[in-house]
Amino acid sequence: MLDIKRYQNPEVFEQLAIEYVVGALHGRARKRFEVLMATHFYLQATVEAYEHKFAHLVELLPDEKPSDQVWKNLEAHINVNAPSIKEEQRSWWHSLFNIKSYALLASVLILSAVMLFNPMTGSPVAYTAVLSSHTTHTTMAVTRISQADMNITIDMMKQPDIPDNMHLALWCHPKGGGKAVMMGMIAKSGETVIRIDKAEWKNFKNVGLLTVSLEPKDSIAGDQPSGKILLEGQLTSIHET
Amino acid sequence: MEDKYADLLQQCAMRDQMAFKQLYEETSPKLLSLCLRLLQNKQLAEDVLQEGFIKIWEKAGTYAPSKGKAMTWMATVVRNKALDKLRSLKTKASETEIQYEGLEFASADLEPDSLENLSQDMQGLMECLKRLKPAQRECILLSYYYGHTHQELSDKLDKPLGTVKAWIRRGLEDLRPCLT
Repeated sequence: MLDIKRYQNPEVFEQLAIEYVVGALHGRARKRFEVLMATHFYLQATVEAYEHKFAHLVELLPDEKPSDQVWKNLEAHINVNAPSIKEEQRSWWHSLFNIKSYALLASVLILSAVMLFNPMTGSPVAYTAVLSSHTTHTTMAVTRISQADMNITIDMMKQPDIPDNMHLALWCHPKGGGKAVMMGMIAKSGETVIRIDKAEWKNFKNVGLLTVSLEPKDSIAGDQPSGKILLEGQLTSIHET
Repeated sequence: MEDKYADLLQQCAMRDQMAFKQLYEETSPKLLSLCLRLLQNKQLAEDVLQEGFIKIWEKAGTYAPSKGKAMTWMATVVRNKALDKLRSLKTKASETEIQYEGLEFASADLEPDSLENLSQDMQGLMECLKRLKPAQRECILLSYYYGHTHQELSDKLDKPLGTVKAWIRRGLEDLRPCLT
């Protein structure tokens, strides 16, 4: 049984965190610590702080040039995935009558209705959120997070007016309040796909609200949206029938 | 001090492929070196390096300068990928194709010229490491760079398992106040 109180003692968890980071925590102790880290922010934060301190050790290493094939593979990967995040140039009526977006919106609404009248148990297989304008409450985007392909898909149904020096950022807000997590930049029109890893998928069970904020292009995201919130929507989980 | 890799990461977040190429060219030799020491196999190391850079490209927008330098963020992303691979494959030193030089590259007797090339943060970390007993420092660095378990360190250094565990535990206990 996990003695969580023991891990809340800074003397204990700081030592475990530093042992974890240097690679001196092994076997079941390492796995136990990883389970706790996935649910306790203070453990994650302590580990991240030590990871950054020790990562300077990489400066001492001699250079080893990778083979040319590694870059070729990377180049192929980013080119293949480029269309999914590239802004599509569309006319205003096209963005208003985007059939695919409305089909996705319809499926989200149907799933939400099914959820409401026929609640299911077990682990979710996907999450959805309809993002509406923070001021006019007009539906602006549909978001789907799928375990099957480990992606967040954001489909912008209406193009918001944003200044040239700003971009849009997607944020996840915990159910109980606390620090938001920035998931990535999103295009102001068309579809954006953001890859997620297993830990991020697991964390979605603790997410209550998704927001899209306007962020200056010349600044890098912090722990909270720094600009105006344009869109927001509650996250709904979808379970296997 | 300006962090040029942070600027490149910011451009990567905006899907600037030229910035990504420059970031890769400038940082991949050190990151491959880290992967090679952990995985002891060039093909595996390059596979992990590639996976690491895909994650760097996809997650560039989540990097926050407040948490540290861009290079340390990238090194952490790549090292965690390498550790996951190492654990999944359980690669044994006896099965590896590369023989490494131990910790010669991390010698505390670095020439002054070399020290000038190190960041202030790294020089601070080295000062902290120098305060440890040599055996403690060696075990900690071998764990970090090579991912050795306590048992592997015990075999490698020909010291009892309990002694190795104590060196690491006490070494890290002594290191913590210096790092904070």
